[in-house]
Amino acid sequence: MARELIKIKGGAGGFQLMIDSSAELADVQEELEKKLSEHPEFFPKGTEFQLVVADLSKSVRSGLKEFLTDKGLAVTAGDRKHLRRQEQHGSSGGRGMQPPVQAAQQSFQSEGGSRLTEEQQVMTVINRTVRNGEEITSQGSVMICGNVNPGAKIVAAGSIDVRGNCRGIVHAGAMGDYQAFVVADRLMPMQIRIANLIARSPDNPEKSDYAEKAYIKDGQIIIEPIER
Amino acid sequence: MSEVIVVTSGKGGVGKTTTTANLGVGLAQRGKHVVLIDTDTGLRNLDLLLGLENRIMYDLVDVTEGRVPYKKALVRHKKYESLFLLPTSQIKDKSAVNPAQLMVLCDELRKEYDYVIIDCPAGIEQGFKTAIAAADRAIVVTMPEVSAVRDADKIIGELGRAEKDNISLIVNRIRPQMVESGDMMDMSDIDDILSIKCIGQIPDDEMVVTSANRGEPLVGNPKSQAGIAYDNIVRRLLGEDVPFMTFAKDSFFSRLKKALGI
Repeated sequence: MARELIKIKGGAGGFQLMIDSSAELADVQEELEKKLSEHPEFFPKGTEFQLVVADLSKSVRSGLKEFLTDKGLAVTAGDRKHLRRQEQHGSSGGRGMQPPVQAAQQSFQSEGGSRLTEEQQVMTVINRTVRNGEEITSQGSVMICGNVNPGAKIVAAGSIDVRGNCRGIVHAGAMGDYQAFVVADRLMPMQIRIANLIARSPDNPEKSDYAEKAYIKDGQIIIEPIER
Repeated sequence: MSEVIVVTSGKGGVGKTTTTANLGVGLAQRGKHVVLIDTDTGLRNLDLLLGLENRIMYDLVDVTEGRVPYKKALVRHKKYESLFLLPTSQIKDKSAVNPAQLMVLCDELRKEYDYVIIDCPAGIEQGFKTAIAAADRAIVVTMPEVSAVRDADKIIGELGRAEKDNISLIVNRIRPQMVESGDMMDMSDIDDILSIKCIGQIPDDEMVVTSANRGEPLVGNPKSQAGIAYDNIVRRLLGEDVPFMTFAKDSFFSRLKKALGI
């Protein structure tokens, strides 16, 4: 598989835009256009991106700025100190690219969570049953005090907590956060998606009667019982 | 105190029209003044189930477009004096009536009748939106089948978005033997997903078909399980507290099997 040129990550510290420093401007723009149009609801006008890349050529940088500004989005340069620290740890990610897991840990450890943007701190709380045909999207995490019925869909950049039966489709870490997870009192969804991984329900689903948590371990979605 | 009730389901063929006809007749049997409105324009059936097809002069579209006053279009039931049908057009389609027109009409009917029951078309498009617009209360009809329950769930969501909060459920065509053997969803499976108040559980009954063909709703017929179940729903609508029927009536063969110890 070709290496991804860009990666958008919505974790602690706002949206981060990671770009392969060897990429051409045109390719980056094309890729970015595709990513933005996939989830338009995540990027309302005025959304700020932090450019997380050490050695991006000036022309690409300014071209990108123009491209995003045209779309009503903004881009800020990542702060140097933060970047340098990431570089020290980011040996496996290649040039200027961070594996999201490490980046998330990084920003959490180094900033102590204090730089969370307002949107990411907000947890969307839905105090009812989400029924067939409904879709809930959030740039932060979602908590549902009710059931998620089959045919419903929850998409969150953060994690998802269902205080009830979860039978629909749940997508946590929709912007690529591998640390995101899904918790439900009874977890029996059609599909669980975390970041870019998908797990579907078994063809003969069993009824679960304890709370469970789904998260990524060793590049796979795993489910295990939890206490709560 | 009159009430406008919409009978809806999402999926077709689960028994909206049958339910509407039976509730209408049942309420009329108990002396209530009732109007049934068929909003399934272009595919009207309610008149057939009531056996009133040959008496239709004008229809809903004539009324909403102001060609005739509603009193002229109402068809009185041949047997129950206090039951009326407002049939719809078979020639026009769903776009012929809009929500505002139906609301005006229902506000007028409210003054004269105890119950206005609206038979909703299948689907979630304009016809559905028109039918629910004027309702104070919604009855969602479903069957113990995955697809029917799924569609009912969608409809409940739609009703919630239209700010219709008084929603109750009727589960139609239950086959007790299949439920018992675990081959059919039971009430707890359905309640698990829909989680709304249930006001009726109707067993599958061949007599529903024969009664539809004859144009005589079977509500209150003591020979029919479905007839008794519909009568119970009518009593619940009127505020009585009626326990749900138990269907676990052993058939001859199951008793024989038991006796032989199979």
